Amino acid sequence: MAKYLLKRLFYLILTLFLIATITFFMMKLLPGTPLSNESKLSHSQIQMIYHTYGLDKPVWQQYLIYLAGMVRGNFGLSFQFDNQPVSYLLATRMPASFQLGIQAMIVGVLLGIIVGGIAAIRRNTWVDGTMTIISILMISIPSFVLAILLQYYIGLKAGAFPVAGWGNFSYTILPTIALAGSPFATTARFIRTEMVDVMSSDYIELAKAKGLTSTGVVYHHALRNSLIPLITLIGPLTVNLMTGSLVVENIFAVPGIGEQFVKSITTNDYPTIMGITMMYSVLLVVVLLITDIVYGIVDPRIRLQGGQS
Amino acid sequence: MKLRRVLALGAVAAISALTLAACGNKSGASSHKGVLNLSTTAEMPGLDTSKVTDNSSLTALSNTQEGIYRIGKDSKPENALATKTTESKDGLHWTFNLRKNTKWSNGDKVTAKDFVYSWRRTNDPKTASQYAYLFDGVKNADAIQNKKADVKSLGVKAVGDYKLEVTLEKPIPYFKLLLGFPIFFPQDQKVVDKYGSKYGMSANKQVYNGPFKVEGWTGTNTKWKWVKNNSYWDKSAVKTNTINFQVVKENNTALNLYNSGKIDRTQLQGSQVANYKNNKDYTYFQGSTSAYLELNEEKVPAFKNQKIRQALSLALDRTQLVNNVLEDGSKAATGLIPTKLTKNPKTGADFANDSKVADTTDHNLAKAKQLLKEGEKEAGISSLNFTLLADDTSGTKQNSEFLQSQFEKLPGVKVSLQNVPFKNRLTKSSNGDFDAVITLWGADYNDPYTYSSLFTSDNSQNNGKWKNSEYDTLIKNSANKDANDKQKRYDDLVNAEKILTKDVGIVPLYWGTASGSGPMLQKSYVKGVIYNSAGVNFNYKNVEVK
Repeated sequence: MAKYLLKRLFYLILTLFLIATITFFMMKLLPGTPLSNESKLSHSQIQMIYHTYGLDKPVWQQYLIYLAGMVRGNFGLSFQFDNQPVSYLLATRMPASFQLGIQAMIVGVLLGIIVGGIAAIRRNTWVDGTMTIISILMISIPSFVLAILLQYYIGLKAGAFPVAGWGNFSYTILPTIALAGSPFATTARFIRTEMVDVMSSDYIELAKAKGLTSTGVVYHHALRNSLIPLITLIGPLTVNLMTGSLVVENIFAVPGIGEQFVKSITTNDYPTIMGITMMYSVLLVVVLLITDIVYGIVDPRIRLQGGQS
Repeated sequence: MKLRRVLALGAVAAISALTLAACGNKSGASSHKGVLNLSTTAEMPGLDTSKVTDNSSLTALSNTQEGIYRIGKDSKPENALATKTTESKDGLHWTFNLRKNTKWSNGDKVTAKDFVYSWRRTNDPKTASQYAYLFDGVKNADAIQNKKADVKSLGVKAVGDYKLEVTLEKPIPYFKLLLGFPIFFPQDQKVVDKYGSKYGMSANKQVYNGPFKVEGWTGTNTKWKWVKNNSYWDKSAVKTNTINFQVVKENNTALNLYNSGKIDRTQLQGSQVANYKNNKDYTYFQGSTSAYLELNEEKVPAFKNQKIRQALSLALDRTQLVNNVLEDGSKAATGLIPTKLTKNPKTGADFANDSKVADTTDHNLAKAKQLLKEGEKEAGISSLNFTLLADDTSGTKQNSEFLQSQFEKLPGVKVSLQNVPFKNRLTKSSNGDFDAVITLWGADYNDPYTYSSLFTSDNSQNNGKWKNSEYDTLIKNSANKDANDKQKRYDDLVNAEKILTKDVGIVPLYWGTASGSGPMLQKSYVKGVIYNSAGVNFNYKNVEVK
């Protein structure tokens, strides 16, 4: 197990290094400068400012400087936020995205499991049909459409929740629902398929033959076994949600990180682009690693390959 | 049973949280007296007086700090820290007597030395200020920015604590307007030194000598406020205690917040304009952005021909462009320089009206066709193909498509479109890598020179490389020979603008709105907001919420 982990860790670092390198050079190919007043500055004025920031150095030198900084956890200074450290930007803007992402995951996945489970048990009845339609709807309606509808009808017309902004828990409810749509639908459809599959397997027949109640069969055997593959799905989905959604965050005026990623690219804010990319990558590879480990722990069938040593 | 319990618990928790939150938030609009609630479309990136570039920060600084002048109604510079101004006959030497006993919010005195320190800091290449170019004309500013002179040689001097002497290399007729712009404000050296690289990076790492103080801004957050500054010298004129700001990037969200009473003003866009045009709260803040087409004469030789350029200009139905395509209250341009920027010193007529040339921008397809025919004959070509470069935002894409359809009504004209991201467009423009490009220019100050100077032969912003010696001479005269004669200078600029329009140095498109201007809804209980179309748009010193 230790050897396996070491090997994985090595690949993890290699992956991150490759991501950093490729992103850095691709980013440097972007046209334009990171200066916000660029349209008013002449070429020579831009060069003067570049010199101050060390942007006039050859790209490979900038790359080495950057890499050296990153290893020490220094992502550099943002351009859009006048010289604010990128790590500070991340630290102050991540929590809102994290919170919304995790809330949306909990709500979405829980409801998804319930709905998917019910659909599987009552498969090919009207219940199943309705549930399927709901989940197809939720997966086809983009989160921003849902967000706009929620904001207008629930926020403005009904006045049940704040229209937009960030404050106490009530501010998070509408964006959470808007974001939960997709994980809900994905989970519901996944669980339904898995459970239908599991329910027709031999050990379920055996459990039934043993005289267990049907709820007992569903909870103890069918649902539990269907949940295992869900782990692979939840990891990346969570990372995706936690790193923020550009549109939903904008619609609800949430001070998250989602919009910053897009904005940093359009404004050529090099350090921020790198900072957010690397953070996203680290989260993703770490979550994938954890998923694999957890998978091995929960599902004895997988453990064989990883546990040779 | 474990799983079941977890599921049940989760569901109960989620439902109860939802209901609880729903109960807790039924409160309606809050009471408004003395509190103004505003939204802005972007975060405030920094409050370093030397480094600010964006609208949110500039607006904050010009309302929380103060320089020699404050820009009042109709862009009139009013005495702020100045009590008396003396200007030499040649316009090169200025002396300002400063108000005594004004204080920074940390208790330090505001003195002439704070101006000297601030201006030097901004011009120092080490500071890398993106607005330092506005000092062009102040003695040695250019040389210092290009590392050819020492910072101490800048043409600004403190005589005692309350007298400031400024020396210029050439007259700057709009100098007073510049002095009302935050880049020219004083800075407290003690504070800059104390916070070092953290200076101006959060509300408490800056000091204020203006009507308000910034509070609650951490550097990256999306909510902050201005509170009345009790150490401000003219605090009795400040009638509002708090102005709250919230970043709202989505236009519809801002409108919903406005309708729910959470904010007191919102900018309207697209179809919202038509829907709210008759609302009692509807108001229009004329912007000072000019959109025009630059024709690259070096890349497309046909554009060197005046008649071909005229044909393209006449082929455009600008009224249709603003009414049916833009739909945001923009005005059809009759030249480069928008209305409401400046007025005739003698008659008070608007610059844009004075410089209007008949039959240059009115839609006239028949005449355009004829001119094109003649032009093509002169240039020895039989057809005209070119690519139109523009930004890739959805609005600009529509504009390009509209222009394409209008130009292609001319026989033998084929236009292909190239829509690229903003930064990409800038690079292509300055490298001359385009046939024709839609450019937008916002005014830095309320003076035609902010536009006129762009199209002299040697200006780096003249991307189309249009050249006209008569134009060059007029602009030069306005900045030198006639700089101290208000009327003559005005006439020079009017005549230059006429040449630009007649000769179609650029194809004027529309006078539009930028963020912070244009059609808006503003609650009727908000009074006393001073708006100017260029520079920092909003002055809230005297705002009242009744």
